Amino acid sequence: MYFNSQNIFKIGASNLLFFSLLCLTSCTEETEIQTYYIPPEYEGPVVAWKLPPNWGENPELSGPMAGSFHVKTNSGPQGRIGVMPFREAVSTLSITNMFGMELGYEKFKEDTLSQVLTTKKVGQKKFEWIHLTERDSPSDPKTALLAVLRQKDETWLFPFVANAALIDQEMNSFISFLDSTTVRAGKKVIRAPRPISAAPIDKPTGAPTWDAPDHWITGKASSVRIASYTVSDEDGNELDFSITSFPGDVGGLQSNVNRWLTQIELPKIESLESTPYLTSYSIDEKDAHLFLAENTEKTIYGALLFGKSRSWFFKIMGDTSLAKVEKENFLNLLTTVCFHDH
Amino acid sequence: MNNQSKKKKSAYTVGARRKAFPWMVPFASVRLTLTLLSLSMILIFVATLEQVRIGIRGAQAEYFESFYGIWYYPEQFWGGSFLSVVPLPIPGGYLLGGLLIINLIAAFVTRFQWSGKKIGIQIIHLGIILLLIGQMTTQAIQVESRMQINKGESSDYIERFHGVELAFTDVTDANRSKVVSIPEELLKPGSTLRVPGFPFKVRVKAFGPNCSFDFKESAAQRSKITMDVNRGIGASANLSLSPREEDYSNDAANFGYLVFQLVNGSEELGTWLAVAHPAGNDRWKFVHTKLEGMAFQPLRHEGRLWGVELRSIREYLPYSIELLKIENEFYQGTDIPHNFESHVNLNLESGQKRKALVYMNTPLRHGGKTFYQYQMNKAADYTVFQVIRNPSWLVPYIACILLSVGLLWQFSFHLINFLRKQSKVSA
Repeated sequence: MYFNSQNIFKIGASNLLFFSLLCLTSCTEETEIQTYYIPPEYEGPVVAWKLPPNWGENPELSGPMAGSFHVKTNSGPQGRIGVMPFREAVSTLSITNMFGMELGYEKFKEDTLSQVLTTKKVGQKKFEWIHLTERDSPSDPKTALLAVLRQKDETWLFPFVANAALIDQEMNSFISFLDSTTVRAGKKVIRAPRPISAAPIDKPTGAPTWDAPDHWITGKASSVRIASYTVSDEDGNELDFSITSFPGDVGGLQSNVNRWLTQIELPKIESLESTPYLTSYSIDEKDAHLFLAENTEKTIYGALLFGKSRSWFFKIMGDTSLAKVEKENFLNLLTTVCFHDH
Repeated sequence: MNNQSKKKKSAYTVGARRKAFPWMVPFASVRLTLTLLSLSMILIFVATLEQVRIGIRGAQAEYFESFYGIWYYPEQFWGGSFLSVVPLPIPGGYLLGGLLIINLIAAFVTRFQWSGKKIGIQIIHLGIILLLIGQMTTQAIQVESRMQINKGESSDYIERFHGVELAFTDVTDANRSKVVSIPEELLKPGSTLRVPGFPFKVRVKAFGPNCSFDFKESAAQRSKITMDVNRGIGASANLSLSPREEDYSNDAANFGYLVFQLVNGSEELGTWLAVAHPAGNDRWKFVHTKLEGMAFQPLRHEGRLWGVELRSIREYLPYSIELLKIENEFYQGTDIPHNFESHVNLNLESGQKRKALVYMNTPLRHGGKTFYQYQMNKAADYTVFQVIRNPSWLVPYIACILLSVGLLWQFSFHLINFLRKQSKVSA
């Protein structure tokens, strides 16, 4: 008989030994790359796209909530395309005016909006399609093509700002780009950079973005005065806010402080030491100076930032009583300034 | 008695078994047993001393979960100034335990008499063998993890106390996310990993189990290890880091780090730094706002959004646990905890819910895992379970039953014999 009790015992004992040795040597963790699917747990906004081959991504736009692109041309990057999320439903009129005033339009009203507004279906998505062309510039005018997507309570703005010829040339790419996008707001706060209105294509290199209070009215910008807003109250008092930028340090800190003091008729300072108008400050983690000076009628609140190659000045000036009311808004604006360089 | 039954009986005699297994005879030595037990005592003594220096987890890994450990005589002891430089090899738990099992089995086979008179002793030894095997199996395959749940929320994954993985998560689809995870064993500096289901190759530049870090003003001021980092949070926060030894102490907080490059075909897309927070990457926001994004560093490719993070090794479960309520009690007038309680809903795979109460020494068992009450933060409204997966958890219970039966048998046998003799004497 093959399976007599002695054989069974031998096999059993040997197996027991083998098992105990196996336990000592073979019990290790799996070390393989694993791929699996889970229910969605990411709570941030989802913004994804497929970039046309001749487009490039503007570097270091931090966070997953927006994108910024350009068109690659023989003469370098041209135009600016963006993805702008808004948590709330922003009106088409507001968006149109935001860009329209930059391009020399009068303020649009509900009844005049239809002049520039159509709708366009791209794939499964339906966009509000706003076409604005710069006034008073007959040859190859600057153009803002704004595609607005509404999803539940979210508003997604895709602005394409460039010269008219470039927009015509890249129209198919822009449409295929819009078709490829997946946008979904998450539970987390969306920190949208300011749209192109605050970042026109002829801005100085490395210009920042910021968030201005809703009640500030956008004014005309230029290559030096890159942002302009006015604030007024019921009594007719007014404040002017500007962001200006110049190459170099334009005379340095003391010279610029004295320039501002002169504008509100205060005596110049002899030295920077122990001046009551300046305090150290930080804008987007960069060393800056906060300037606060006022007389009974006029006030200037400002911030001066001297970069490696350019200087940046953030200034609100005007009626002292209104300036006191808007001081907090001004300081809040400074905290939203982002240079997108780190 | 006929010849057949005589032959059968002879197969079970000690002599016959020694003949059948001659190679087992040397292993059955009582001297070997005593030597191994003495060495076990030394091992326990040394590991207890070392526990002060390297913590329970460190002592366990160095001395019990290994074949040997190197011990340095403490400087504080007599002659320590001379002897502390000499490395002393100490036999480890696997070696002593393994040899003890072999010794006991060999003794069982070649030395013990298999008779009704001695069956109690045999059962006792069988129990000891089972206890040893159970312990070694537990050490080798038991996995300890943690599950943290915020009040009112549920969790469907557990994270290991030790070890990290690099995880890429595609969050583009609204209904489900795709996860590609690479265990730390594969993250060897210099290696290039082709990852199935992920569009890029991962080139590992530096990896370590622990580090310290700080922010620098510029990229040029960063440490050598993060100098090349040009994408993600490492670049935007100008992080500089210094590698550190893994901390095995009880309150260890190891920040695993990885510097890696992503390669698309032959194009280098950039170099990222990922650091794992020991309490979960959602804690980064409490460390510094600049580091909040460490939990999800975005990558976009072909219309897909991926997030990358280095995190504690994660295991997803087919069920989830929802935290309903937490309660903690302290001894009156002290801060010493008396009881921690977590009221939970176990959301089963079938869609059914089961209410459970988890408190000290009363765990929740489900799906081969045991959830023990581990930590609790009433102020922050979260609880932490220690989660143990130990397929051999029943073995010690069976071993103890065998030991009890063996002892009962042996004592009863001797008691009955004693009583019989007494009654004969009195008659």
